[in-house]
Amino acid sequence: MNITRRQALAAGIAAGGLAAGIRPGLAQANEIVIAGSIPLTGVFAFAGIGINDGLSDYVKIVNEAGGVAGRKVRYVYEDTAYKVDQSVAVFNKLTGSNAANFYYSDSTGFAKTINPELNRKGSMIMAGASFATELNDAKAYPNQFIAGPDYSDMISVLLTYIAKTQPGAKIALVNSDTEFGRDPVATTEAMAKKLGLSIAEKIVTPPTSVDVSTEVLKLRRANPDYTIFHGYVLAPLPEFMTQAKQLGLKTKFMGTFWSMDNSLWAKVGEAANGFMGVMPYRYYFDEDAKAPMLAKIRQMRPEYVSTAYMQGFLTAMLFCEAGKRCLDAKQEMTATNLKAALNSIKDFDTGGLIGAPITITGNSIPVGRVYQYDAAKKVMVGQGDWINVSKPS
Amino acid sequence: MRIGALKDNYGADQALFDTAVQRLWLALGAVALLAFPFAASDYWLYLACLVGIHIVSTTGLNILTGYTGLVSLGQAAFMGVGAYVVALAETRLGTPFLLNLLAAGLVTAAVGMVVGVPSLRVKGLYLAIATIAASFILHFVFQNWTAVTGGTRGLSIPPAQLFGLELARPFALYWVIAPLACIMVLAAANLFRTRIGRAFIAIRDRDISAEVLGIPLLRYKLMSFGLSSFYAGVAGGLWAYFFRVVTPESFPFVYSIFFLAAVIVGGMGTILGGILGAVFMTLVPEALKLVVGLLSPWMPNAVAMLSPVRTIVFGALIIGFLILEPHGLAEIWRRIRRFFHLWPFKT
Repeated sequence: MNITRRQALAAGIAAGGLAAGIRPGLAQANEIVIAGSIPLTGVFAFAGIGINDGLSDYVKIVNEAGGVAGRKVRYVYEDTAYKVDQSVAVFNKLTGSNAANFYYSDSTGFAKTINPELNRKGSMIMAGASFATELNDAKAYPNQFIAGPDYSDMISVLLTYIAKTQPGAKIALVNSDTEFGRDPVATTEAMAKKLGLSIAEKIVTPPTSVDVSTEVLKLRRANPDYTIFHGYVLAPLPEFMTQAKQLGLKTKFMGTFWSMDNSLWAKVGEAANGFMGVMPYRYYFDEDAKAPMLAKIRQMRPEYVSTAYMQGFLTAMLFCEAGKRCLDAKQEMTATNLKAALNSIKDFDTGGLIGAPITITGNSIPVGRVYQYDAAKKVMVGQGDWINVSKPS
Repeated sequence: MRIGALKDNYGADQALFDTAVQRLWLALGAVALLAFPFAASDYWLYLACLVGIHIVSTTGLNILTGYTGLVSLGQAAFMGVGAYVVALAETRLGTPFLLNLLAAGLVTAAVGMVVGVPSLRVKGLYLAIATIAASFILHFVFQNWTAVTGGTRGLSIPPAQLFGLELARPFALYWVIAPLACIMVLAAANLFRTRIGRAFIAIRDRDISAEVLGIPLLRYKLMSFGLSSFYAGVAGGLWAYFFRVVTPESFPFVYSIFFLAAVIVGGMGTILGGILGAVFMTLVPEALKLVVGLLSPWMPNAVAMLSPVRTIVFGALIIGFLILEPHGLAEIWRRIRRFFHLWPFKT
């Protein structure tokens, strides 16, 4: 049969129309629904895929153990390509066809955009991939939380570590010229002053900068003991480190959560040796008697899983814990009750995902540990103990 | 079979909708638009509003690129200007919603005219680069003029108010976005029945000849930039009220490419092309998501596994349409109409 181009186009249009006319199924009663705007494609896909696996795996574990207070947990998600308009579309779609109790957001932009609608609905709480300091405000974002420390807390962990290991150290800050990169700058300066550390240089670069020779020369002039990067994933960190080593700089390089995935640095090779940073969660390969959940993850996934996976996994765990506490107290699963249940979490054992018991009083978990990359062993190695930077209430 | 439309005066010859059948379809379309919010879910209403905003912006770019032949890759940045004007007017001045939208259009038109100055000396790829440069400058201003734009954190906007009603949800905003989009599309269609519109087309077809015919190039090119930017500004203003947060990252450069792609895929230099292009670029990714979702019962991980494939299919669809129908979706639509006009004698 010969198909003309007109027929081919008509068939394509008809198929599209048919697909658009089909509506998703409705939710079942007596279940807990976690919905998510997940960046499975686009610039953040490297993390989105891990986050999705983490959320799915924890839901599977919970359901195999009988669910949350007898209710099965269902996880529904769609790809957003890390675009705010698509994230909002996914939110409308998933919450319109499922009675979602919890929502995973993919970005700071989406978390800010959807906040009024989240408050209006009053039926779910939200956490996500953003650690933005702005979201760590229970008054402005009453139905959201961060499954870890916010970016300012992460820098505080690093500065606390520096102040302890080298009092009075000189620090350089390198931030990307984005909302993400500029997030903790002001609080870093205040915190450094408080801890008796000096800020020797502040460098801002485009997020995708390749040539960093000018910035490295600035570093050489400032000669800091530590250089803290924030607002990047990997590039241009290896370039900075390679050039600095060539110039004989002794500065130690540090990063924050999204720069800390082990597989990223394993690909960089020798130049990555000695890179340090803050991690809110344990790594996949951390062997610790107090981390049975990590053993379970290794059993489910024999290959290395990313730090993003851990973030998704812990978020699902906290969602389920909040749901459990709410149902145990025989309360309706509204946003207010779920958030109150979440905030009742005190000295909670995450199964070793975080190396210290956690307490959630506000919108974040201000705990982290410094890790350092060992290029010979190709693993991040924990440095010192877990550091809690919660502010006195 | 229709053999033709009898026109016995110049008015009928120039009419936008010249047959009774067209007017009937238009009336049915209007009824469908009126009924849509009552039948659609939040998800579809959200998409309808987004499509409306994209139609306004794409139509604006079509005036500049499709009708005047001036390639611009600054449409997203112009939308950003409109969005910031609305955000500032709403939060600092508290001026009425519609006035803010008008101000967004006018300020953006002024900015667009400044950006359009190089168009007298350069065109084609050179002009595209000039507009890219302008869009980077505008992004720099959005990001660094912290006292006004709120810097990287941007500005949050309260819901629009109209006659005491709060326009916070897609259902409410639909009643503003849909009529505005219709009015602006109709205005654009009418523009090309005027001396100004014909001057734009003359410039597109051969600017030197147009000048020889007495069309002042600077004035009309800047006017085209101004009009196009006015549309972008209004679209940006609507965007700001729709999402209620404006940050420098809200209008990335790739968003400008989105609008240029919409103009090309829809059909350059046709009003219908701008509409179809905006609808295609906004809804096809969603339709592909639905297709992927349909596979979920058989493939539990279909969404995660097939999402990258979906992106490739979307790209391939655009390339496919360009190869199979270089005149865009508007031409396909015309062929469909012709089929029914000539049926059953020629199909």
